[in-house]
Amino acid sequence: MSRKDLGYRAIFGAPLVIAALSIVGLAGALLDDGLWDSLGSALLAASLGSIVWALATRRR
Amino acid sequence: MKTRTLRGWAWAHRWSSLVSTLFLLMLCITGLPLVFSHEIDEVLLHQDWKPAAEGRQLDLDQVLDAALSRHPGGVPAFMSFDEDRPVVNVTSVDPGGPAGQYTFQPIDRTSGDPAPLVAGHPVMEFLLQLHTDMFLGLPGMLFLGLMGLMLVTAVVSGVVLYAPFMRRLPFGTVRASKKARARWLDYHNLLGVVTVAWVLVVGVTGVVNTLAVPIIAYWKDTALKELTQAYDAPVALTERSSLDAAVRRAKEALPGMQLQFVAFPGSDYSTEHHYAVFFHGDTPLTAHLTTPALIDARTGELAAVAPTPWYVKTLSLSQPLHFGDYGGLPLKIVWALLDLVTIVVLGSGLYLWLARRRSARA
Repeated sequence: MSRKDLGYRAIFGAPLVIAALSIVGLAGALLDDGLWDSLGSALLAASLGSIVWALATRRR
Repeated sequence: MKTRTLRGWAWAHRWSSLVSTLFLLMLCITGLPLVFSHEIDEVLLHQDWKPAAEGRQLDLDQVLDAALSRHPGGVPAFMSFDEDRPVVNVTSVDPGGPAGQYTFQPIDRTSGDPAPLVAGHPVMEFLLQLHTDMFLGLPGMLFLGLMGLMLVTAVVSGVVLYAPFMRRLPFGTVRASKKARARWLDYHNLLGVVTVAWVLVVGVTGVVNTLAVPIIAYWKDTALKELTQAYDAPVALTERSSLDAAVRRAKEALPGMQLQFVAFPGSDYSTEHHYAVFFHGDTPLTAHLTTPALIDARTGELAAVAPTPWYVKTLSLSQPLHFGDYGGLPLKIVWALLDLVTIVVLGSGLYLWLARRRSARA
C-alpha cells in the first residue's frame, strides 16, 4: 500500500513556524530588556520544546 | 526535484559537512563554556576586594602612569572601565615583543594599586583563543570563517534535502523501531530542521566575527584615514596631551552616552594621531553599538565624532548574536542546550556517512 506524498506546506509548515519564533526571540531579546529577555528565551526554546514533543509523541 | 539536482544537493551537503565537521565540533565544544564565561570567571576569579579609599579617584593620567610604572617600556594600547567597581583596566604592549601579546592590568582608581582580575581566567582565555583562531592569528580566524561558510552550505543543502526525506513522514517522526541508520536519520532531520534558524544566525555571525581584523583595517584605511591626512608623522609618546582631558572633551561631544574604552594612538581601533574614545548607547540595542570621538593626541582638541559605518555596526551586532550573552541567564541556558543539540546533529551526520559507506562496501 502506498501513501500519498506530503506537500511542501505539510513538510515545512512546522519548521517554518519554529524558525519564525526563534528569529523573533533572538531579535526581541536584543531589542529590549526585561520582559523581552524572558520572552525571547522562551520563543527560542520553542525549538527545544518541539524536540521534546516529537520524542514524546512521534516515536514509532 | 530531478534526480540529478537532488544528487547535486546531496553532494554539497555531504562534502560541506565532512570538510567542516571536526572544526565545527571543536567550535561547539569550546563555545559551550564560553556562553557562561562571565559566570565561570566570577566563580574562578572571585576575591573579596574593596577599593583602597572611598570617594576620591585618581585622574586617568595618574592611573596610566601607575600602570606603566609596573610595566616599564610598555606602550599603552587600550583603557577600559569596570562598571561595578572603581577599576580601570590598562592594556599595554611591549614594542619589542611578539605581535598580539598584551599586558592587562586592572588598577584601583582610588589608589593606583593593582586590583584583582574579574575576567580572563587562563582556562577561559585558552578556550576563547582556540575558538577564535586556533592560536594561528588571522589565518586561523579566516580559516574558521571558511568553515562557517561550509556550515551555512550544509544547513541550506540540508533544508533542501529535508523535503524528499520527509515526503511520507509527518513532522517530528522518529522511527525508533527501525534499524539504527533510519533511526539516526530521523533524529538528524528532526534536530537539524528545528534548529535551522539559530544555527544560521550563530553561523553567519560567526563568519562576520572572523572578519573583524579586515573590517577594522578597512575602516581605518578609509573613513578614519581622511582624518589623518593633515599629519605626516605619528604622534610620539612624549608629545601626547592629557588623556584625562581628552576623555572629558569626548564626553562633552557625546552627552548621554556611556564611556566604554579608549584606544591609544597607533593601536587597533585608532589612528596614529588620535585618542579614540569609544562610547555606547544605553538602550539594549545601542549598548552593542559604539561611537568613537577622535581626540587629537597632540592638541587635545576634538578632531571628529566618527559614527561607525554599516559594516562596523554589523560586526558589533554580530558579537552578541554569536555568543548569546545579551538576554540574561535564561537565554544562555537555551543557547547552551541548542549548542548541545548541534553537537548531536554533527555527530549523527558523521555516523550516517560512515554507516552508508559501510553498507555500500558490504
